[in-house]
Amino acid sequence: MPDPILATPFPRRAGAALKDAFLQEALTIATTKFIDLRKEAFGALPEGDALRDRARAIKEATLQRLDYYLDQLADNVERLGGHVHWASTAAEAREIVLRLCRDRGVRTAVKSKSMATEEIHLNEALEHAGVTPIETDLGEYIIQLAHERPSHIIAPAIHKTKGQVAELFSRELKGQFAADPEVLTAVARRELRQKFLAADMGITGANFAVADTGTLVLVTNEGNGRMVTSLPRLHVAVMGMEKVIPSMTDLMVFLAILARSATGQKLSSYTTLVRGPRRPGELEGPEELHLILMDGGRVRQIAGTLREALYCLRCGACLNVCPVYRQIGGHAYGYTYPGPIGILLTAMLEGDRSVKDLAHASSLCGACKDVCPVRIDIPRMLIELREHLDRGRIAPWPERLVFRAARRLMQSPWLFRASARVGRVLQRPFLRGDRLRRLPLFFGKWTATRDLPPVAARTFSERWKELR
Amino acid sequence: MATRAEFLDRLRREMRRTQGLFPATPAARPRAPREAAEAVRRQLAERWPAALTRFQAEFERLAGVFHRVSALADVPGVLARIAAEKGVREVIGWDRAALGWDLAAALSPHGLSVFAAPPGGDDTDRESHLAVAARAPLGVTGADWALAETGTLILRSGPGRPRTTSLLPDTHVAVFGPGALLETLEQVGVMLEAHHADGRVMDAGGVINFITGPSRTADIELTLTRGVHGPKEVHVVFVDDCPSPP
Repeated sequence: MPDPILATPFPRRAGAALKDAFLQEALTIATTKFIDLRKEAFGALPEGDALRDRARAIKEATLQRLDYYLDQLADNVERLGGHVHWASTAAEAREIVLRLCRDRGVRTAVKSKSMATEEIHLNEALEHAGVTPIETDLGEYIIQLAHERPSHIIAPAIHKTKGQVAELFSRELKGQFAADPEVLTAVARRELRQKFLAADMGITGANFAVADTGTLVLVTNEGNGRMVTSLPRLHVAVMGMEKVIPSMTDLMVFLAILARSATGQKLSSYTTLVRGPRRPGELEGPEELHLILMDGGRVRQIAGTLREALYCLRCGACLNVCPVYRQIGGHAYGYTYPGPIGILLTAMLEGDRSVKDLAHASSLCGACKDVCPVRIDIPRMLIELREHLDRGRIAPWPERLVFRAARRLMQSPWLFRASARVGRVLQRPFLRGDRLRRLPLFFGKWTATRDLPPVAARTFSERWKELR
Repeated sequence: MATRAEFLDRLRREMRRTQGLFPATPAARPRAPREAAEAVRRQLAERWPAALTRFQAEFERLAGVFHRVSALADVPGVLARIAAEKGVREVIGWDRAALGWDLAAALSPHGLSVFAAPPGGDDTDRESHLAVAARAPLGVTGADWALAETGTLILRSGPGRPRTTSLLPDTHVAVFGPGALLETLEQVGVMLEAHHADGRVMDAGGVINFITGPSRTADIELTLTRGVHGPKEVHVVFVDDCPSPP
């Protein structure tokens, strides 16, 4: 199911975002605030660096025995009375949910925020099947009413003003609501409370799944994750297979850094540990619990270039610090996961071809790697991805030609020196002061957004001969 | 649809192609979880006053409202004051066995009507419970653990301890004593390892909730707003002389 936004090429999408003055302001305010909150939270945590190292080691250790932990998780979930489903593709994951809806006569499903269900475009599939999906995270609810896509992993509606939300609520919910976050939040509370109580199915993702105990872990701030796992008679959790962790001891390490990285909180308001469906004697909780473990492109990266991206906790910290994300926001990326990690996840889930342009939407400054709670080396993988695109002849031919020529030049000292002499002549008509500001042909794309330093009047290697 | 065997086989084929990125092990777990938990309890039996100070500071930073009384006999008065402040008369709460004291008996002299969760409910119980829980303005629970470094309440669900008592009402009040206090997330990890080491899987409830302040969102223009789906206010009544519930 391709997103209509992809009909427009990435450079045009990015260009449009850059011209959107409101978006620019909203992005600056939001990302700056998130950066400050994170910095403050880790500033007050002297053991933060050690915890990040441990978290990283746990992720790698889990991947090294992933078959064992998944097997153990499935055994334990089943022992507790839950059902486990295995989905190789997004389509299979959707079909499992739809079949459950059909078999159990589900009419409405309430959802807590889940990137995994966004990834498989579950809402569209449910609607087609006559099931009404209701997003209950306030940001996601706004996005759903507006028929839009989230623009940030943890703050899906940062591109909207309170005025726009008030207008949207007034129109869609038939009322007159003031442009006041307090008022609008109360409206959503009232609306969604009824939906929670009436829904047949609750759909969630999972931030973690503890193999040793069969526990699904949901981290939320609003309490909607608790509602959807407490009130409907069915609970379906959709989860990338890499979210499994070995033990409760490991979970504590991740909890200590996840919220701090995402929102600067010590812990999010609610961390919910779900162990199977309702127990005998319990008044609430689902009669049935279904866990869908998803591949969708993850398995082939176990030994692939993007293995390290499987560590990702989906905290959003790398989005906030990325100079590209901060300028263009989430929509311009065009896929479920935006930002630096989003480029890698898109390549993983949708294939290399989908990131032909996106792979270059990074300055490789390394800010993402610095803030990542599990220290994912995003720049390294972006470079390797670019190499793949070149080798796989996916990159456009002028780009491949330029890089091939550059490689040849740099491999031969003679050619390299000769090219400096030639370049010095060729650049003359384009020199403005001490900069190349506009180049002809496809080189013009480079100089459209930046200047190029010219070949020096005397290069270093020429001077070196005299200095010796 | 893939079967478990197919899925894991494919995964194993890929796993055989790599050694991984670097040598790594998961976090070291307590070898004897129950003994480790007992050791933590012994330490806290000495150190709880400092943990309480930290808990109060963190909890209040989250906009939590902290009360402290010396004995259980003083708790109904505090609850009645909170109810009066909110102008409400209906209270839902955990049952006697879960709390360690009788909420209904404690509050009826104050003119409040109490709906305690029936332990071991059938379908009729479920329906009547939900009808009440969905509109009750005030929910009273205990707390199995209280984590000082983050101001977090940790509640296990189970018979007589519904998971929504701390979720559906506008105001949630948790009553607990020194025995619940823990200092660090690491200690919580030890407690959870011990809890799961028990083996009596089906006796324990389906859910454990960590509650860190009221329900909150910042989804509209990053303006912090409380009470989006869960409680707008969370209160703690700390009881110095509180017999730990079973």
